Amino acid sequence: MAQASAALGAAGPEAARGAGRRSWPPRPRKGSAVQSEAELLLPVWLSRLVVVLVLIAVLVPLGYMLLMSFTPNYDVAAGVVSFAVLTAQNYVSMWSTAPLAQGLVNTLIIAGTSAALSVAVALMAAYPLTRFAFRGRHGYLYTLIGVQTIPGTTLLLPLFAVFSWIQTTISVHMIGTYFPIILTYMTFGVPLSTWLLVAYMRTVPRDLDEAALVDGCSQLGALARVIFPVMLPAVVVAFLFAFLVGWNDVLFASVFTNQNTQTLAIALERFSANSQAGGLPVYGQLMSSAVVSAAPVVIIYLIFQRYLVHGLAAGSVTG
Amino acid sequence: MVSTRRHVETAAWHSPGAEVTAPVKAPPGPLAKSYTATHPGEGGASGSLWSRASRKWRDRPLWMLIPATAALVIIVLVPTAITVWLSLLNVNVHTLHEWLGAPFYGLQNFIDAFTQPSTLGVTLGWSIFVSFAFSLLTTVIITPIGMLAAFSVHRRFRGRGIVRAIYLIPYTIPTFVTALTARVVFLNGSGLVDKILGGLGITNGQTYWLIGPHAYWAMQLTEIWATWPFIYLMTLAGLQAIPKEHYEASALDGASKAQRIRHVIIPELSGVLKLAMLLSTIFHFGNFTLAFVMFGSPPPPGAEVLPIAAYYNAFSFFNFGDAAAIAVVTMVILMVPAYIYMRSTRLAGGLN
Repeated sequence: MAQASAALGAAGPEAARGAGRRSWPPRPRKGSAVQSEAELLLPVWLSRLVVVLVLIAVLVPLGYMLLMSFTPNYDVAAGVVSFAVLTAQNYVSMWSTAPLAQGLVNTLIIAGTSAALSVAVALMAAYPLTRFAFRGRHGYLYTLIGVQTIPGTTLLLPLFAVFSWIQTTISVHMIGTYFPIILTYMTFGVPLSTWLLVAYMRTVPRDLDEAALVDGCSQLGALARVIFPVMLPAVVVAFLFAFLVGWNDVLFASVFTNQNTQTLAIALERFSANSQAGGLPVYGQLMSSAVVSAAPVVIIYLIFQRYLVHGLAAGSVTG
Repeated sequence: MVSTRRHVETAAWHSPGAEVTAPVKAPPGPLAKSYTATHPGEGGASGSLWSRASRKWRDRPLWMLIPATAALVIIVLVPTAITVWLSLLNVNVHTLHEWLGAPFYGLQNFIDAFTQPSTLGVTLGWSIFVSFAFSLLTTVIITPIGMLAAFSVHRRFRGRGIVRAIYLIPYTIPTFVTALTARVVFLNGSGLVDKILGGLGITNGQTYWLIGPHAYWAMQLTEIWATWPFIYLMTLAGLQAIPKEHYEASALDGASKAQRIRHVIIPELSGVLKLAMLLSTIFHFGNFTLAFVMFGSPPPPGAEVLPIAAYYNAFSFFNFGDAAAIAVVTMVILMVPAYIYMRSTRLAGGLN
């Protein structure tokens, strides 16, 4: 996931080159209904075989996950695979077994805030990066790519050390509050959103902001009132990708949150660790909560599929 | 703020082309006077330092970069520097709260990490080996799978849209969900994998995937299942960029399908594939979540990748010095592919 986002980010400023001005990304071009034989890459039988094998490999574990999410805990542990035992009970009782609802609310607050802040910061940065020549502009863009490859553990230790140092030195409670975790997700959200928005802002005609300036807008006013509405689709996509950083993270949330602020991912991780520790493992409920955690993300991706593929396509131009 | 303004000033000073690209034209109407009064070459140069600064501030709002720059410096660059510093200090559970004053330790943390097994029983060398094997093997295996999958949906057929959407699903599922599911799929004896293997008579159905020596392979298989669509997506994107004429030309030359793939398609895709493999290696190298969630705590030695080693050293045993040393080693290893990646991303030269 992070990978897709980074590659999408890597598409960066190149993305605009081939794209038409107002339609980014361009809709896939509709070729002639009949595909010429020359365009077939694999013999028909082979490509059918590959499709069938891949579908089996993808769908069998997914189907198993769904099936187990409707199977009572005991039967999952015993390895019973049967349509006779199916029940929706897991989807009801999981909410009281683990603090999922609380985790969901925390995730929405944490990921939502950090994504909104990331996009606001990125929007402000993208404007000078696409509109003005200044020394270090390329260096800045390269830095944005470079920081995306810094491993999370490298940032986790010092952030923890700094936050706990602040906590003991000036007695402000930090670890366990929303603040450090939101700030940390911005680490990933800001470079990613900036790349996406720089790519899009290049396609926004300059006449637009010039007209706004002539009409007496300040630069910030032009950005907020004229460019922002035009860029709304890209802003939404940047927001979603920054949001998913928070939705998917386990590393930082496992250290920076406590019982009250834990995200959905952490609630689930602890749920699974505890269920292993003793008593009857609640595998059925584990699977139903897994389905509930994955469904929104999968749906978002499928809706924005076109953006994902296009972002990668643009990245490939850089080769 | 003052220093930033000076920076803006200097930045403009050094780029002679800047005035040309500045978007402000002298506007007509009542505003014109105030604009031209501060415009360069029309009296701006003789204005006070303050009015020049404020004009620059308004015309070239580089101050808009301040929040992003602050974010990059405070939450990326400074922490990275602190990690390097921590790796040279003897920070443990006793000195953690006073880590700034922890005794200087030189390279002792690195030496310890390489020579002494951690409480988990593995050394840094082992973790480097597991991480390398994991990321390289994943990339090597998912590349042909992803390419074949992309080729298979290049042909138009009824239901292709649905097939493409299904192809994407493993990749879109959050890693912690994949890991939880893998936990159930690889359950000893009663999990899907053991049931299939046992049912086919390949094994006795008691593989113990989640503990002991098989743990690595369970993790490896899961990673392959979850990430091959990345290569698929990149290949698909690359295929879309190949001009139609190239297919036609090779067909006219009488090339067979195999020849076409080998001599036309693969060369055209090589750029995007190299980038994809590079990114794939970088990100598999840093995968923490899968090993952390899929196994019990702590994970078995076979799943002891570098991020896991750093994490457990820091947050289970409070050996922050050792953990920082491991993080620094990880970062140094990743610098090579990261540098190649940055070099390969050509930035568009011009402005809008």
